[in-house]
Amino acid sequence: MSSSSDAPRRRRRAETPAEQTFADLMNGFSLDSGRKRTRMPDEVPERDTTPVVPRTEVPAFEPVFPEPSDASIVRAYAWTGGRTRSNINLEIETLVSANDQSRLSTGILQAEHQRVVELCHTPRSVAEVAALMRLPLGVVKVLLGDMAERGLVDVHQTASAGGDTPDLGLMERVLSGLRRL
Amino acid sequence: MDYVGSRFPEFGPPGPPGRELTSAKVVVAGGFGVGKSTFIRSIVESDLLTMSSLAPERAGGVTELVRIQFGRVWLDPGLALHLFVAPQWQDARAGWTDVVRGAVGAVVLFDIMRPADSVDAMRYFEDHNIPYVLALNNVHASVRGDVKAVIHGMGISPDVPVLHCDPRVKLSVREALISLTEHAKLDRWRRRPGPDETTPLAPVC
Repeated sequence: MSSSSDAPRRRRRAETPAEQTFADLMNGFSLDSGRKRTRMPDEVPERDTTPVVPRTEVPAFEPVFPEPSDASIVRAYAWTGGRTRSNINLEIETLVSANDQSRLSTGILQAEHQRVVELCHTPRSVAEVAALMRLPLGVVKVLLGDMAERGLVDVHQTASAGGDTPDLGLMERVLSGLRRL
Repeated sequence: MDYVGSRFPEFGPPGPPGRELTSAKVVVAGGFGVGKSTFIRSIVESDLLTMSSLAPERAGGVTELVRIQFGRVWLDPGLALHLFVAPQWQDARAGWTDVVRGAVGAVVLFDIMRPADSVDAMRYFEDHNIPYVLALNNVHASVRGDVKAVIHGMGISPDVPVLHCDPRVKLSVREALISLTEHAKLDRWRRRPGPDETTPLAPVC
């Protein structure tokens, strides 16, 4: 069956490039869109009629809906518009803090931005925001990146943001800080 | 209903990032139950926070979140030191990249009775040129003589500082962190680019 139905298709494909003109191309577009239109009404009534007649089969479709355990994570990624990367370079230890701009605009921010602003009244790291908001790190990075681009939070770059290792000045500061502890 | 206040304000361009605040991080690694969380808790003096992260190589599976514990302590008004517990090796190799990138260095807690538990971490840090110190925990006086033999047998570079550390004692943890930072500074100095390789090390303040 499959070989006999494939054969004419192949022949048609082989023929078209040789004969094709601009007019054929345009016709092809209209034919394709016509096909889609004709298919859709054929399928829809079939689906509609089946659940009406055998009513006992209807509950069988219910488990298709997503499980609640994944829903919270999916919602978090919906906040970021499905993005997983931020435009701004944020390490997990990078400090962010709310600024005057965000303090003035409290009450008119999105709920999640509002929470970040409340958390960041004292400077907090990206990791802290992720932990306190109970969101995955990637989501928080995108969220904070958006807020930084809109001027809602200040990002205090780490001394190691450029390279892979922190510079000697920072290490000196860490050393003297540790000795004071 | 009135919509007077509902218009979103026009935000100006984001200002230049502030320079006065900065942060550094240290990774604490080691085998299961060796005292990584205790180590951090005694220097931070508060409970650890837990963040979750998706391992990049497993991002297709939504539920596979890696949990990473950490603590934060302010070393001076503008410098926050973060201490991250390296996730257990079996959980996710990819979870390490975010944690390790840009770290001052790593403290590998080492239980002399279970040396194999910490080997993966040490190998990782050596492969990635991340300075680390070996902090020996739970070393009973009767086996102290064997420690050198065990460490030598593991083929660890003689440059790596080895010290005793009780993760429950703040001063002991602080000493471990100080020797890590000094080692990292020395390491950084040795690896620096430029012709003046023989310049003596600047005195430690």
